Amino acid sequence: MLEPILGSLNRERILLFLLTNKEGYARQIARFFETDLSPIQRQLDRLEFGGVLYSRQAGRTRLFGLNPRYPFLGELQALLAKALVFYPQEERERLEIVRKRPRRRGKPE
Amino acid sequence: MKPIEDLSLGELAAFVCTHLRTNGIEVVLSGGGCVSIYTSNRYQSYDLDFIENLPTSRRRIKEVLLVIGFIEKDRIFAHPQSDFVLDFPAGPLAVGSEPVKETVDMKFSTGILTLLSPTDCVKDRLAAYYYWEDLQSLEQALMVVEAKEIDVDEIRRWSAVENKLTELECILDVLIKAAGGNRDSK
Repeated sequence: MLEPILGSLNRERILLFLLTNKEGYARQIARFFETDLSPIQRQLDRLEFGGVLYSRQAGRTRLFGLNPRYPFLGELQALLAKALVFYPQEERERLEIVRKRPRRRGKPE
Repeated sequence: MKPIEDLSLGELAAFVCTHLRTNGIEVVLSGGGCVSIYTSNRYQSYDLDFIENLPTSRRRIKEVLLVIGFIEKDRIFAHPQSDFVLDFPAGPLAVGSEPVKETVDMKFSTGILTLLSPTDCVKDRLAAYYYWEDLQSLEQALMVVEAKEIDVDEIRRWSAVENKLTELECILDVLIKAAGGNRDSK
């Protein structure tokens, strides 16, 4: 939907995921969209390098989020929120209810 | 000019800034480097964060910096004879959500350095404190407030724009006390 202006479908996916989930890590985002890990990692790096995202280390996981110091954050969030309105309801709901509660290691996904 | 390894942070920053300007690349020093300069190295930074006024291709920056011996590795530029490293974080030049309106030009023996004003430097550090709860950044902001004339009313206005007035209120007494040590602050 925003691919023509963002230049990449994975960028759109990452930004929408982080808009709705606040933070996320590469494998989680790749799994959610059932896509390859490396293009997601590449886009996360680019967005962080561009100041759009921040990252922080949580144990061995690098968590990403929308950078609150990005000067166009408000405008970007508004654009993403509008794009989300055009997503099918099912997809929107899926984005908004990503599991956040703990899950013991070894249990099936 | 002194050898690169003997240059202070300010001298090196001015040298790099002038070299870039001569080659058509206008940059402004931001971040911890400004704190070092304004506090006469009470806080010592080894990172020189330059923000471009207008986006320049990475390749062009690499070419121009190579002439003075800085080589890019992992997106950071280092010189074999210097402990300081150069970084070019993505622009635009902003403090929080607002563009920087005025910068300061400071003259060194090595050239002219353009950097954030003391008030914007404080805002820049406070932004890190507001958004990351980084106490080191707050400490740096207070060091600048103690050392230089800053506009406390402007800090208040900007904090309101950032929707961080509550956070400012929590540190306002400390800030005003620090500014009190500097009779020039408004």
